[in-house]
Amino acid sequence: MAAPLTFNGIHSSPTAPVDWDRIAARARSMRRSKAVALYAFLIAVSLPIILPYFWLVTIAFSARTGVADTVVLWRSVAVLAPAVIAFWLAAVLARNRRQLWLGLTAIALAATAAFAWLVGPDLHLRNFIFLVEPDFASVVRSRVGAVHGAIQFPSVWRAFGNSLLIAGSQTIVVLTVASLAAYYLSRFQFPARAAMLRSLLILHAFPVLTLIVPMFLMLYWIGLLDTLFGVICVLVAFELPFAIFIMKGFFDAVPWDIEMSALTDGASRRQAFLLVVLPQVRNGLLAVAVFTFIRGWEEYIFVFTFLIRNTNWTMSLYMYYVRDDVMGVDYGVVSAVGVFYLVPSLILYVAAQRYLMQMSIGGVKG
Amino acid sequence: MSAVTDLAVERRYRAASAVRRRTNFVLFLGPAIALTFLFFVIPVLIDIAVSFTDLDRTLRISKFTTEQYQKVFRGDSRLPQVIGLTVVYVFGTLAIFNVTFGLVLALTTTSLNKVSGGFFRGVWLLPRMSPSVLYILLWLWVINPSDVGLLNQFLMPALGLARPLDLMTSAPVALIIIANGFIGASLGMIIFTAAIRGIPEHLFYAAEVDGAGTLAKIRFITLPALRWPISFVTIYQTLSLLVSFEYILLLTKGGPFYDTTVFALYVYRRAFTSGQYGYGAALALFLIVIGAAAALLGWRFFDFKRLLQHPRIEVH
Amino acid sequence: MAKVEFRHVVKRFGDVEVIPDLNLTIEDGEFVALLGPSGCGKSTSLFILAGIYLPSGGELLFDGRVVNEVEAKDRNVGIVFQSYALYPHMTVRDNVLFPLRFKRMPREEALARVAAAGNLVQVTELLDRRPGELSGGQQQRVALARALVKEPQLLLLDEPLSNLDATLRLTMRTEIKSLQKKLGVTTVLVTHDQIEATTMADRIICLRAGRIEQIGQPDDLYRRPQSLFIAGFIGSPPINMISGEARDGVMCVGSVVFPFEGAPGAVTVGLRPEHLRFTGSGLSGRIAQLEPMGREILYVVDTVAGYLRVLEHGSIAAHAVGEPVRIGFSPDDSLVFDTACQTLVAAARVGPPA
Repeated sequence: MAAPLTFNGIHSSPTAPVDWDRIAARARSMRRSKAVALYAFLIAVSLPIILPYFWLVTIAFSARTGVADTVVLWRSVAVLAPAVIAFWLAAVLARNRRQLWLGLTAIALAATAAFAWLVGPDLHLRNFIFLVEPDFASVVRSRVGAVHGAIQFPSVWRAFGNSLLIAGSQTIVVLTVASLAAYYLSRFQFPARAAMLRSLLILHAFPVLTLIVPMFLMLYWIGLLDTLFGVICVLVAFELPFAIFIMKGFFDAVPWDIEMSALTDGASRRQAFLLVVLPQVRNGLLAVAVFTFIRGWEEYIFVFTFLIRNTNWTMSLYMYYVRDDVMGVDYGVVSAVGVFYLVPSLILYVAAQRYLMQMSIGGVKG
Repeated sequence: MSAVTDLAVERRYRAASAVRRRTNFVLFLGPAIALTFLFFVIPVLIDIAVSFTDLDRTLRISKFTTEQYQKVFRGDSRLPQVIGLTVVYVFGTLAIFNVTFGLVLALTTTSLNKVSGGFFRGVWLLPRMSPSVLYILLWLWVINPSDVGLLNQFLMPALGLARPLDLMTSAPVALIIIANGFIGASLGMIIFTAAIRGIPEHLFYAAEVDGAGTLAKIRFITLPALRWPISFVTIYQTLSLLVSFEYILLLTKGGPFYDTTVFALYVYRRAFTSGQYGYGAALALFLIVIGAAAALLGWRFFDFKRLLQHPRIEVH
Repeated sequence: MAKVEFRHVVKRFGDVEVIPDLNLTIEDGEFVALLGPSGCGKSTSLFILAGIYLPSGGELLFDGRVVNEVEAKDRNVGIVFQSYALYPHMTVRDNVLFPLRFKRMPREEALARVAAAGNLVQVTELLDRRPGELSGGQQQRVALARALVKEPQLLLLDEPLSNLDATLRLTMRTEIKSLQKKLGVTTVLVTHDQIEATTMADRIICLRAGRIEQIGQPDDLYRRPQSLFIAGFIGSPPINMISGEARDGVMCVGSVVFPFEGAPGAVTVGLRPEHLRFTGSGLSGRIAQLEPMGREILYVVDTVAGYLRVLEHGSIAAHAVGEPVRIGFSPDDSLVFDTACQTLVAAARVGPPA
């Protein structure tokens, strides 16, 4: 027979007193050391990421002679790090909202003043001259002397325009084709439907980078190598399965009754699609649009392989050759171009952040 | 209305409907099918075909031969090294960063309050959100083998070195693993965070009251709930690491020599740098087959029935 | 004497103050119910007892010593959640075994304890199943076993019966109550169902918006509710309320005059449906509706003083809809409340109109 359970209630029997004070004290210290350890660890591992990006920005605004001067960086850090810590302490210690706002404003003012005094004089925008000066290489040469490499640089605005063209066209085409295909797959019955859905599943997970060699040959034989049009076609096709997959998910979520009532109201299915269903998946369209645009903007491998002439350069290629050409010579200009390239990406990512979460998990079992 | 005219009306209606059905098919699915066929199916066929030729820098085919495959299996002395490196790279990055560190990041950031946790997750997403060229540019600055490199600025005083470190030559494999790892960790971090957030809160309360400390809660509640996400990330990222070489190409270009040339990059170098398109196609075929197999395997993770949801309107 | 004590306990979530100032003592071995509508802070108080929430202010004392900062795992408390919170990937045996992992005892002893706990709540045949395969009632018993296996000094139940169907609720009510009597463990039950509270607890603590409205035995709350809120909350079917103006020995409700004993002023009279009878004289009205409830019938009567509910025993209706009736009651059964501050005026009584 199992030993019976005994219930002593909460009185401390003399033989086994419970020392609540000691337990409470131990719990308190454990809680504090856990919090400290967590923050210390996260700050330690995140610093290698924060510092280089911060460096990029400071050098873009401060480098004079083209050297990757870290003095400005350290001075900025010396102002910002205490400011961040002070912000955090204020948030933790403030007892009500008013105190919090007073504290934050005071710290912000102090930090700005310190920053202006220590770092301000070093800041300038001369590194961003590439935005207005078409002959980029000569500008650099005039500043730092001889420049290695004989690559002729196009105007950065041309590269910007190319990137915009590629990303933009890709987005529009993908949106159109994917919406049409996804709608049909989602809402129509036809003989090969199951087979097509199966292949969609396989295609959207297929790694397209493996096809780069035959793709190159194919473009060459068609005559589309070194054309923006060819690159756009390739990027569109490779992005398509994933976009269709996502859009189908959104179309599946639209309730059937809306469409049914549109049909009974006299619309044809195409009209129902345009007037009634499409507005319902606006979120999906936005998500796919942003995601596709970002991919087009950041694309490197395919443009690197398929584009040759420098008039066809995109921002990614521009960055690559700027780094190759002036690396070690004019850090200031390189980082300025970098910031110019980075900012649109970040803005788009932050804007699309909501959708990205849904997309990466949608449809996965378990 | 007589029965004959009714029949005629019906026949005409059905004919019109059939025409509409066909046009709808072409209109909606046509472009997608055409593009998919042209850019997925044809390249695979081209690849298979070219792998049996001797296509090289001259971009002219003179004969059909199996010599590329003979080269793959016997003739290439570099290949074993490349394959070995690929194995080390894929498993190293996967084990250390994508899965393990992704898990650590998810666990630590979810233990903080929402704002702080979100901040750190945002920082770790920065590499993934930056264009690859820019991310590698920052890496090149960090490991710059002079005293302006960020890493050397820290390590030289810290370790008391006389000359600056050059990671590119002294530890290139570690370099590519870490550089790719930062990117990979962020995907695991997002997926695991979402899964952790999905665990009902009361399970944690029950465990707390039952006597479980932090580690016990992770072991008994969090990890069992992460079994599916972990296997998903593992399989998905294994494939991703096998076929992608963009960051490696930008960072080390595969060097020094071939020390950091993984299989996918090897294909690229042989095809485009050395101009051996036929050989490159043969090598690429292996990757294509692996990619297709993995895509099929990944099928298990998807709820196909939900994907197949039958349409409820039958007219066109 | 050993006990649990809340001393000026405050709990805030961000800017929302759920519990403003709680003072409460729970004696050793008691079965106490925290009763109240949703959002009144009863579950919050329970979680503070368990150590899941820490008080924002005030002190929680076990045995006279402050335990605010003692973590849940060190408090030796057992809790049964409304959702049962069984670990889905473990068998029932492993679920019940879980708390014993952290007590560092030999495996045989742990398994023996699991068997004993399983016997107590009768889940012995289910030990090898998984929570997903169990019914609601079975899951609840497993949760109970898990809470009891560690011989807790305090047993906490968060709305344990709300997810069960009516018959199961009845059986579990009796089981839990007899279990508590047998084991003598101090138990705190949280519920919004006043029947649960009155049938199971030794003492009921009625909460509203984080404050204690009344503490007493089930009988007290029923017969002497200190406020309109309690009167309306306790008792099913709910009490009838008649508001009127009292002066000079009478209370006027519209054109009807009730004999009144007590101080003048605006009063609200509470009359329980079971205390009202159909008589020859009294308040006149017309039957608007009748609801047969098996062994009783509930009549809704339209009177000048509003709709009144009358509960009569028996399954055969003596009156029909539309029938004129007169309602009488004993003045001793009347509960008079001051309309302004909603509290009971103990000395006042009201009688049926002539």
